[in-house]
Amino acid sequence: MENGIEREIISIVSDITGFEPEEIKPETNFMKDLEVDSIKAIEITVALEKKFKISIRDEDVPNIMTVKQAVELVSNLLNQKGTNA
Amino acid sequence: MLKKQSSEEYDAIIIGAGIGGLVCGCYLAKAGMKVLICEQHYKPGGYCTSFRRGAFVFDAAADCFGAYRKDGITRKVFEELEIDKKLNIIRFDPPSIILTPDYRVSFWNDLEKTIEEFQTAFPDERDNIKKFFYFLSNSGAISISKLRNWTFKNLLDYYFTNDRLKAILSLPLLAMAGLPPSLMSAFMGVKFFSEFFLDGGYYPIGGMQMLSDTLAERFKEFGGELRLSSLVKKIRVRDNKVTGIVTENDGFIPSRLVVSNCDARQTFLKLLSKEKIERGFYNGIKNMMPSISNFIAYLGINKQFKPPQPQGSAVFFSQHYDLDRAYRSAQKSDIDGYGGHTFRISRDKSTIYAIIPAAFKNRTFWNNNKPRFLESLIEKIEKSTIPGLSEHIVYKEAATPYTLYRYTLNYKGASYGWASIPSQLAVPGLRKPPFLQNLYLTGHWTTLGVGISGVIYVSHETSKLILKKERNMIL
Repeated sequence: MENGIEREIISIVSDITGFEPEEIKPETNFMKDLEVDSIKAIEITVALEKKFKISIRDEDVPNIMTVKQAVELVSNLLNQKGTNA
Repeated sequence: MLKKQSSEEYDAIIIGAGIGGLVCGCYLAKAGMKVLICEQHYKPGGYCTSFRRGAFVFDAAADCFGAYRKDGITRKVFEELEIDKKLNIIRFDPPSIILTPDYRVSFWNDLEKTIEEFQTAFPDERDNIKKFFYFLSNSGAISISKLRNWTFKNLLDYYFTNDRLKAILSLPLLAMAGLPPSLMSAFMGVKFFSEFFLDGGYYPIGGMQMLSDTLAERFKEFGGELRLSSLVKKIRVRDNKVTGIVTENDGFIPSRLVVSNCDARQTFLKLLSKEKIERGFYNGIKNMMPSISNFIAYLGINKQFKPPQPQGSAVFFSQHYDLDRAYRSAQKSDIDGYGGHTFRISRDKSTIYAIIPAAFKNRTFWNNNKPRFLESLIEKIEKSTIPGLSEHIVYKEAATPYTLYRYTLNYKGASYGWASIPSQLAVPGLRKPPFLQNLYLTGHWTTLGVGISGVIYVSHETSKLILKKERNMIL
């Protein structure tokens, strides 16, 4: 499942930053490598919420700085949603 | 250099020669693309235009700009496009003054001086004022993204207890963005402060039109083509890919890419056919709330006038501290209930620009009410901020929300695109709709930036996005 999530996240980050999916690796740093600033961090967060129908806590927004971190966060939130359902 | 199309087809057509369209056009043309900008007005600039009446030159809507500090986005873009050398840019000091019956505080070019002035006015909030202004001046940090769901009221409540101080810090946001702190996005509020109030008051000698004209000239030097008085009627799409535009004068013009710098509502609900748009996205756009419009007075002043306030500074005045009430009054275009106004006496003290938030009404309403509104606004200014003003007025004119709509086609004459409320921040797909290939949006309707520095930021980003895709396509 995580591979599918990773692909979706890379596609979202690619659309927002303009970097091609092939250039975005699990460890790529959004801020240092993909020129993500506070506005684009919010764009990525809102797009993740919409895509995966999850709700990301405000304090977590600045901490989503790599695809790996985003995959972990999204997977955890999806698992919680599954458990609560 | 990116390869130009050899046929009649453009590489990119940009709809709207506002600052956003011009900046985007410059970057794409500079990279070697064959670019056409279509603008419905007979001059470039959108809200950044000026007009002459006899000896007087008035700025139509935008009356100064921000983010021109050393690492500010406006300076970065002007330097990259080399228009900084073609403009004579000055900075007013103080750029903004807030005035109420009990207080007068200024935003100076020197941050420490600003902090001291606020501390003197509100000694009980001394330490909090320092923390708040330091937070604002470091707002480039990624950490402010956690404010995305906060209102500006949440942020003020976090820092302060004094309600009058909270109202004073919210007044310029209400005056400009038309929202009270209880509705204004904290994130956008912080951006207004960091990019405009703390780094604002920049002005091109000759008027704001100089900025637009210089960008338009630069665009042409890069090989771009600008068609004025050219109204775009449709964006054509085939197989979920844009193929060009249809204009009123020239019919179909083919293009690989289309960048809409005009109103997003118009882009999706009018220029594109409904069946080409995802239904959820279409309904989302339909339900979004635009920012409020403005009523603007342009006053020509005689030589005997002695300004009671510094020339060049924007003065934000309010008679009271109940900004929610002021907001409700602005929604009804009720000048008396609003209880405030903003004005700027020009550098040479020959003109005064005065502005209040006002709701959109139809043409007949404004035809019937414009003179009364103008007289009422002049009377209010005379009573509270510029005594004896009417004796010095030798020319007067006004723009209503309908005028702003007519010259720019912004939905309901909206001054700042969508309203800057937390739920409308960073709406997915507004910069690059996922269901249509080769369509991009830029400018203040993308929910990412407002004001001149805001649209410069968005357009710089949109051009980078386009150029990355173009280069990858060639490679």
